[in-house]
Amino acid sequence: MLRQCPTLIPQDLQGRVYDGFLSVQDKDFRLRVILPEDLQLGNAKIECSWKLKKVLQAYDQIVKQRLQHSINLESFMMELKTILEVALKNTNALQTPPAPQYYSCLVKDIESLGWDKLSFVDTELSMIQIKIEDTSGRDHLVTLKLNAKYPFEAPDCCVDFPIPFTISWTPQSSLLNVYKQVSSALESLKGFWDALDEIDQKTWVLEPEKPLRSSTMRRIVIGNNVSITIDLDPKHPTMLPECYFLGAEHVVNPLREKLNSNIHLWDPENSLLQNLKDVLEIEFPSRSSVEKSDFSMDCGICYAYRLDSAIPDQVCDDPRCGQPFHQACLYEWLRGLPSSRQSFNIIYGECPYCNKPITLKMSNKKP
Amino acid sequence: MQSKMQRVSRLKRELQLLNKEPPPGVTCWQNESNMDDLRAQIIGGSGSPYEGGIFNLEIIVPERYPFEPPKIRFLTPIYHPNIDSAGRICLDILKLPPKGAWRPALNISTVLTSIQLLMSEPNPDDPLMADISSEFKYNRAVFFSNARKWTEKHAMPQAQGLNKESQETTHKRKSAEIPEEAKKFARET
Repeated sequence: MLRQCPTLIPQDLQGRVYDGFLSVQDKDFRLRVILPEDLQLGNAKIECSWKLKKVLQAYDQIVKQRLQHSINLESFMMELKTILEVALKNTNALQTPPAPQYYSCLVKDIESLGWDKLSFVDTELSMIQIKIEDTSGRDHLVTLKLNAKYPFEAPDCCVDFPIPFTISWTPQSSLLNVYKQVSSALESLKGFWDALDEIDQKTWVLEPEKPLRSSTMRRIVIGNNVSITIDLDPKHPTMLPECYFLGAEHVVNPLREKLNSNIHLWDPENSLLQNLKDVLEIEFPSRSSVEKSDFSMDCGICYAYRLDSAIPDQVCDDPRCGQPFHQACLYEWLRGLPSSRQSFNIIYGECPYCNKPITLKMSNKKP
Repeated sequence: MQSKMQRVSRLKRELQLLNKEPPPGVTCWQNESNMDDLRAQIIGGSGSPYEGGIFNLEIIVPERYPFEPPKIRFLTPIYHPNIDSAGRICLDILKLPPKGAWRPALNISTVLTSIQLLMSEPNPDDPLMADISSEFKYNRAVFFSNARKWTEKHAMPQAQGLNKESQETTHKRKSAEIPEEAKKFARET
């Protein structure tokens, strides 16, 4: 004990109360450990200075758990030291809050930008989101993480762009400069987003399901089980994107040949979609209007509702599963499994969906 | 007789789903007019040595499907600890219990997604190819470069041919556009 925490001193003869300091990373934290009468470490009380309390705030559960599991006070102090080291590394709780000038300057900057441009501010006023509409009417969010030394150090700027974007910043810069720089970047990407917006609206895009403004890739349906994947260069949105086809050879090969032989038809004056149509000599199908069918009533094994006039009348009893099955389907599955067991006309097995026990009563109809 | 009906109804639905909502990076279709002979393509996951490759697979749907798992093998050669030189795949859900973990709750779509995942995350503790597996375990860099070589050789020849041509044309266009580009650049700076 003396070796681990030489500055933690016993305060009474029974060794129930310790008071002193814990040193981590050249910092001393005051704490007091009070053991209960039976000296059980699990019920010990740890009193911390406010600084220590603040650092350990998020580690409350871990400290409690370590206290329960440590064999003696010495090993617990070792554990506490380790936790504290991690906590100090992960938190800047010891940093003082920004100087008042930070706030006055920031509020002034926001005012000159216009409060209506803000879409979000966090409670510490250290992160703000600005909404910018581009000339095609698309909304973009800019997330700024402000440094305590703002405006002398640049804020971290996060945008959903397909190209790397950094703001140039001088101590004289303000949020207005950020706004202007982002706006001009938005303008330079207008063609790229216009092209992809047209694709997203007029074709059936399989991937990505919800494209981000930064995604350059689209997988587009051409026909049954045939799709083309394009990857558009954000800097040259009118150029031929990188393309590859997915699907059966006999359908894909002619398309590939078309692409190669018609490449001279590609006209940067036309839109991306028009160019793809011209070069491939196809029309892109629009998203099939067939609504997603509701599977909840169908048999989980044959995927149908009616099977030889029978309906799914066996249901998994687990309320979180509740999967219906046809008697015949469930029987066919369970009878082949070594984990199933039959007693007269009842089969005990596991639900093929949730693995919970399921029982199947065979009626006298044909199996 | 009845299991045949179950198979037909189920396959019809599955093919519909695969057409309308294929899993990311996966496509699957009926070969010719046989419902029990399917083909699929899986795109190598980014960050894996298979990135950029298109891998063809054969799916044979057995008589007793969905009470038995589909038989799936790679047609495109692939360098992988759990896939042998005949394209056979070592994956628990492709085998029946008690040895395997196939269940009718799975389907062709989920199985293909699992294979895609297996490509990105090989399982060296259940190897089919002992040499590749120990390479994967103890000499990751060599494994990666070998797998990469195979991908480039077998899984992307057409893509390469296409790209070469298209790149040439793009280059031509780019050089034609340079004046305008340069103007824009001058304005910006």
